[in-house]
Amino acid sequence: MERDVLRRLCLLNQLSLTETQKDDVINFFAERDADTATLEAIDTENVERMVHVMPVLTVVREDKASQPFSREDLQAGAPETDEGYWCVPRVLE
Amino acid sequence: MKYETVIGLEVHVELATESKIFCSCSAHSFGADPNSHVCPACCGMPGMLPVVNRRVVDFGMKAGMMLNCDINRVTTFDKKSYYYPDLPGAYQTTQWFAPVAVNGRVDIETSAGKKSVRIKQIHMEEDAGKLVHDISEGTTHVDFNRTSVPLIEIVSQPDLSSAEEVEAYLVRLRTLLRYAKVAECEMAHGTMRCDVNLSVRPEGSDVLGVRTEMKNMNSIEAIKRAIEYETARHINAIENGTEVLVQETRRWDDAKGKSYAMRSKETAGDYRYFPDPNVMPVVIDDVWYETIKNSVPEFPEVKREKYIALGLTEYDAERISESIMLCECFEEASEACGNPKEVVNWITSDVMRILNAKQMTYEMLNLDNKAFGKLISLTLDGKISRANSKKILSAMFDDRAIEPEAYAEANNMLIGEQNDDLILGIVKKVVESDPKSVNDFKNGKEKALMALFGKCMKELKGNCDPQQLKVILLECING
Amino acid sequence: MNKIVIDDMFLTTDMPTTAGSKMLEGYTSLFEAEVLTRLKAADYVIAGKTKVGEFGADLLGETCYFGAEYEGETLQYPAAAAVKSGDAKAAVVMDVNGAPRRGAAQNGLVSLKPTYGRVSRYGTIPVACSGETVGVIANNAADCRDVFTAMAGYDSKDGTSLPESMTEQGKAAVTKKNKVVVLSSMLKGTDEAVQGRIAAVTDQFTKNGIEVVVADADVVAYAGAAWNILMSAELCNNVSRYDGVKYGYRTKNYTNIDELYTNSRTEAFGEFLKSAILFGSETLSTENYKKVYDKALRVRRVIRDNMAALLADCDALLMPAASALAYSRTLVEGDKYLPYKENFFTAPASITGLPAVIAGGVQLVGNAFSEDLLLDLAELV
Repeated sequence: MERDVLRRLCLLNQLSLTETQKDDVINFFAERDADTATLEAIDTENVERMVHVMPVLTVVREDKASQPFSREDLQAGAPETDEGYWCVPRVLE
Repeated sequence: MKYETVIGLEVHVELATESKIFCSCSAHSFGADPNSHVCPACCGMPGMLPVVNRRVVDFGMKAGMMLNCDINRVTTFDKKSYYYPDLPGAYQTTQWFAPVAVNGRVDIETSAGKKSVRIKQIHMEEDAGKLVHDISEGTTHVDFNRTSVPLIEIVSQPDLSSAEEVEAYLVRLRTLLRYAKVAECEMAHGTMRCDVNLSVRPEGSDVLGVRTEMKNMNSIEAIKRAIEYETARHINAIENGTEVLVQETRRWDDAKGKSYAMRSKETAGDYRYFPDPNVMPVVIDDVWYETIKNSVPEFPEVKREKYIALGLTEYDAERISESIMLCECFEEASEACGNPKEVVNWITSDVMRILNAKQMTYEMLNLDNKAFGKLISLTLDGKISRANSKKILSAMFDDRAIEPEAYAEANNMLIGEQNDDLILGIVKKVVESDPKSVNDFKNGKEKALMALFGKCMKELKGNCDPQQLKVILLECING
Repeated sequence: MNKIVIDDMFLTTDMPTTAGSKMLEGYTSLFEAEVLTRLKAADYVIAGKTKVGEFGADLLGETCYFGAEYEGETLQYPAAAAVKSGDAKAAVVMDVNGAPRRGAAQNGLVSLKPTYGRVSRYGTIPVACSGETVGVIANNAADCRDVFTAMAGYDSKDGTSLPESMTEQGKAAVTKKNKVVVLSSMLKGTDEAVQGRIAAVTDQFTKNGIEVVVADADVVAYAGAAWNILMSAELCNNVSRYDGVKYGYRTKNYTNIDELYTNSRTEAFGEFLKSAILFGSETLSTENYKKVYDKALRVRRVIRDNMAALLADCDALLMPAASALAYSRTLVEGDKYLPYKENFFTAPASITGLPAVIAGGVQLVGNAFSEDLLLDLAELV
């Protein structure tokens, strides 16, 4: 894996790594890539993907509204709130 | 050189459900206190699991049918990942692999003629929260009320070529979705939003130009202005090299009448779509499909033609068929009173006047249409005076439960089997008290009769068949 | 008394739930996991929470922010240790990728990872939702069965929960064959102690009239590689919610939203978790989706079909739960990414959703809905 791929991945996932960690992750990816490459041995040409392992279908609920949680409770552990809002540094659009 | 504009639209419409798409919070977020319609799932807390609101699928399907789409009988949900403060889980659950509806068509008509706009797909997804930037300096306030409110995104093919066509398309979409009663489609409320993908190329060329996407237009007028601006900007760049066009997302500033490139980071992301393991595939069986199919209303044109056949003028037929609420009012009231022409007169005069006075849109019409038809019947039968019927109709706007005949009776507005003697007594009294008018009438002044008639009607509090009163009055004057 | 401990992956309203991460230090949920509600109703008393590797993503449980648990120089799985020591009759655990099974095997305990969907995941910290299940560790099969019975069943709050009718049908379709198949391909890289356990359990079965045969099933050996992909991608997505905005850890070091996100996550997440997130993200990239993630989803079906075919005429597939019964500190600390290798043994049940039971230090993977039969087999060990 190239360093700039890793840089882009870190940006995308909001993480930053030290130089040593970067080396570790690059080695980790190399191991995983080798693992992944082994999967090519399995013929999946006419195989459907399997997202769900059990054949449950069409799980739907009735359209009914309820409000069992209060804003005060939901924001009790919030790092920063104001006037009932969660707060973040100014976002530019 | 002549240029043509190539436009495709992504229209987001909030579905008019009671609850959100994956949790049971209320979906009516407009105007509510910040974060008053939220649960742990809406603010990104771990542990709740999504269960699909059935009505969202109903509405998604119905919207698809209105837009002539094929319905995917197995429809699935996927996760789209990116970081933004209005997205509490840093992912949006949407439909990437198997959207509910595909391959549709919307027909429009403009000064350039008729045109079919192809619909690529309609997918169901959850809305994001709202960011408020103007409460305090340097801070963005986050409100998750709108998080997970159900949306459909209607993606058109790049078949539109002018602001006028875009307007016609949006108005048509709005009419159809309102006809289906799946959405409010009020741009001012944010329940209909539109992103415009636009490029410009020399007329006749089959190579597409650089495409930009514009967001943040809050009305159809703003969309038209944005298209005019962006088209001019593209042409200027191509002809005069004023700038290098790049594929990007731009934000429309309606006050300034300009579009601005948005921060590139937000658009440069890789959304990493993958199937949501927590949401099972939704299989639309024949029974479900047919139930929705049967609930799809006739299209506006079909209704208009039917109304013209009933004897309505083209103008009235057009006005009524503009809104499904007027159509239902017209059809149900006509059925109740058997006189469509009279019903349309009442709708275009009284009903529209009251709506106007109450500052209500057609979509807010909430009359008991059958009772309205009954009121018209009672009036036509002479059991309620025209003046009183207006009062009763006004009351019926405020209270759907009002039954016109009972209401008239309770308020002394019902004209019973009026006995001629009672009327005659009053007429005699009036005639005796105003000999001048009687003389004037006898001397050929027609207006004098109207004055006498009015006085009698006033004494009778309007509870009298005008025809019956006129006959008795004339008999009395003429001896 | 029915005293139990629970992994720190179950949401509780009367104590914090951290998932072994600094990110959730002190975080208390507003609602309780469905399984806890059911267990309390069945008179189980929750004695406390046991530590897990960060977000349960690490099979060895070594990456807990609050400290890994070692017994001398041997890595211990806290939930299993609590049962072994007698502190609790059973431990209710989150089996994201086999950590509880490995822990039970190490300690000679019995553990059940039920069929996917039989126990509600409502109120559990989500990590790898397509395969993770609530499980049990106990001293014996009977206790495992009791706890499982108390917490299993349909839950409308979990969209992947199995309806009762499907469970009844599934259970009725399970028939006893008195035969167990040892998968030779799964013995790869195991040490002598593990091979000894396999031999001992084989003997025990044979003595009890159960036929034990050896079969090759090379495809099953690919489960680890495929599950590592699916698990990491789902993990990446599931932990993206922890960003320092709504609750949990927020960095002090930020001037804009991106710094808030990045520094909060960077300061609060451990190194192993970060690697897992980055790898998971990469499997889903536009470039890789088709050849990595989608491929793993298809391999999953091949493995499931293959195992179902093998299970059509036997009661269980016998395989190790890990390459070794115990891991020394030197081994664990010497290979940061050892958990991704050890997934080889636990992934077949995780990726397919099939039930698995640990007994006598080995693993038995059965047909869907065959929990009872697997626990019967465990009683013979």
